[in-house]
Amino acid sequence: MPPFEKSQLQSIPFKQRKSFVTRKQEVAGIRAKFPNKVPVIIERYEREKYLPPLDKTKFLVPHELTMTQFVTIIRNRMALLPSQAFYLLINSSGLASMSLTMAQVYNDHQDDDGFLYMTYASQEMFGHG
Amino acid sequence: MNSVSPSAVQYVGGVMQDELVESRRQQPQQQQPLERQGSFGLRLPQNDASREAAGEPDEMDKLKAKLMSAWNNVKYGWTVKSKTSFNKNSPVIVLGHSYLLNSEDEVERFRLAFVSRIWLTYRREFPQLEGSTWTTDCGWGCMLRSGQMLLAQGLLVHLMPRDWVWPDAQQLTDVDFEVFRPRSPARAAGVPIPSFGSTRAPNTPEKSHSQAPRTSQKKRAESVKDRQAEPVHYKLLTWFGDQPPAPFGIHQLVEIGKGSGKKAGDWYGPSIVAHILRKAMAKTSVIQNLAVYVAQDCTVYKEDVARLCDMSPSQSPADPASLGWKSVIILVPVRLGGESLNPSYIECVKNILKLDCCIGIIGGKPKHSLYFVGFQDEQLLYLDPHYCQPVVDVSQANFSLESFHCSSPKKMPFNRMDPSCTVGFYAKNKKDFESLCSAVSMALASSKEKYPIFTFVEGQSQDYGLEGHSSNHSSPPAHILPPARPGLSSNRRSSDEFVFL
Repeated sequence: MPPFEKSQLQSIPFKQRKSFVTRKQEVAGIRAKFPNKVPVIIERYEREKYLPPLDKTKFLVPHELTMTQFVTIIRNRMALLPSQAFYLLINSSGLASMSLTMAQVYNDHQDDDGFLYMTYASQEMFGHG
Repeated sequence: MNSVSPSAVQYVGGVMQDELVESRRQQPQQQQPLERQGSFGLRLPQNDASREAAGEPDEMDKLKAKLMSAWNNVKYGWTVKSKTSFNKNSPVIVLGHSYLLNSEDEVERFRLAFVSRIWLTYRREFPQLEGSTWTTDCGWGCMLRSGQMLLAQGLLVHLMPRDWVWPDAQQLTDVDFEVFRPRSPARAAGVPIPSFGSTRAPNTPEKSHSQAPRTSQKKRAESVKDRQAEPVHYKLLTWFGDQPPAPFGIHQLVEIGKGSGKKAGDWYGPSIVAHILRKAMAKTSVIQNLAVYVAQDCTVYKEDVARLCDMSPSQSPADPASLGWKSVIILVPVRLGGESLNPSYIECVKNILKLDCCIGIIGGKPKHSLYFVGFQDEQLLYLDPHYCQPVVDVSQANFSLESFHCSSPKKMPFNRMDPSCTVGFYAKNKKDFESLCSAVSMALASSKEKYPIFTFVEGQSQDYGLEGHSSNHSSPPAHILPPARPGLSSNRRSSDEFVFL
């Protein structure tokens, strides 16, 4: 389990932890060094109850990696079973097709600061009582 | 005749009919005004046998059971009030069929389409679930019930004659057919039909009123065919009985769910239920030529489906078209947004429900599972499992079917739909599956979001995994930093660094 201090730190969304200017500079710096990779922020859906927190937030991902491969990497990091529900939502709302490459998703959905933001979530449970 | 409480209506069809009048006196206050107006008693003459079967338990127990059931139905959100209004001017869609409710014929077709769907609800007083003290799923089993309804629909399509309807389908209750916000007054005035279904006087013999006099030969032939399918209808329902041996009953499903870390009393999600149904189908021998496939990560791998359906004993690829194919139910668990449904997906959900191959969607409102079977305008049409009924012993010959069909269609706005759901489809054979793929892909392309909610791809899931990536990629996966190092103090700094993939 992550230490208390860190989990507290991570519960604050990345965008709120850093100013727009800082984030933009960060992207510029890393893009200059690694032009074939895209910077991606992955955060846990704030109300997620079933999936574990991820130890890292910032990922540098090769252009040609497909969403399927990317999801597999993240799933493996969390040691999830294939049948466990796991969804990456772009900008907290839309699903990305698994056959897309990261470059395609990045081009379509990057934020103004240059990062691509994704939220991961499982599914809600239903019951009444 | 005005509104009727659904509980009253459902009991009429159920096994506790003799207790109806009595129970209504004892129900909570908000239901009392309904007593005078009810059209219950619709089916009185038919249920002598079940009435006798119910026996005469101790008065106190009876009272207790009744109070509990009334309380449960309020507690679990069964809406006691309000009729469901249907717009006469725009089509209502039920699983790929469209009905414009501006004529009595169409209303009749809609009634048969809706009431013939199998309705599975909370039950109480069933044999204890193994490893627990539960004898009811009231309050927790709604998603399992929705899943059962979805599977039951798949089985109806699989086993019953095409466009089968239940010949004994009840009359609709708690419905109004209205002309909504007429844009052109002329048209509104031109629809002289009063509200159907609820206009029938109590005790009118069921068929005489609703059957149009000009019933064609063809229609009669169909109803003979539907009548002949009744034994299959019965058989199908026994598979969902609340008894341990029933292959798709709550006992089996809970047992299978243990493999996913669930137990009796837990809440279930649409994805877990999809996998439970898949395992239940694989486990049973009551039905051989049907398989359940669950999509992984919003992707249907066509070759995986083919492998699942291929009934040839050897795995040789020689001319697969000539070999036997199982029919298949395809379940796709999705998440259509974060906290709430992403509105750009509404059009897409509508288009899916318009498809002939769609067998419905299990999802719900937040925390409240529902089985969606259609829509009208901006509202989803559903079957609600949150109604606690006494168990029916399906091992008895000619058990009562009434509590397995719902006569009061309900609607809710799309924007209250929980984003977590599982979409279901059915394909009879290989050719059917191919046309399913193209029809569904087309429906999915209608999303206002840039990407479809799920996709069909050639090949198997393992072709798309990491193996392919790491083998022809220059940087090996060694670049992935080891997760969660034990040294905590150094972690804080590194947590802000990029992970290289």
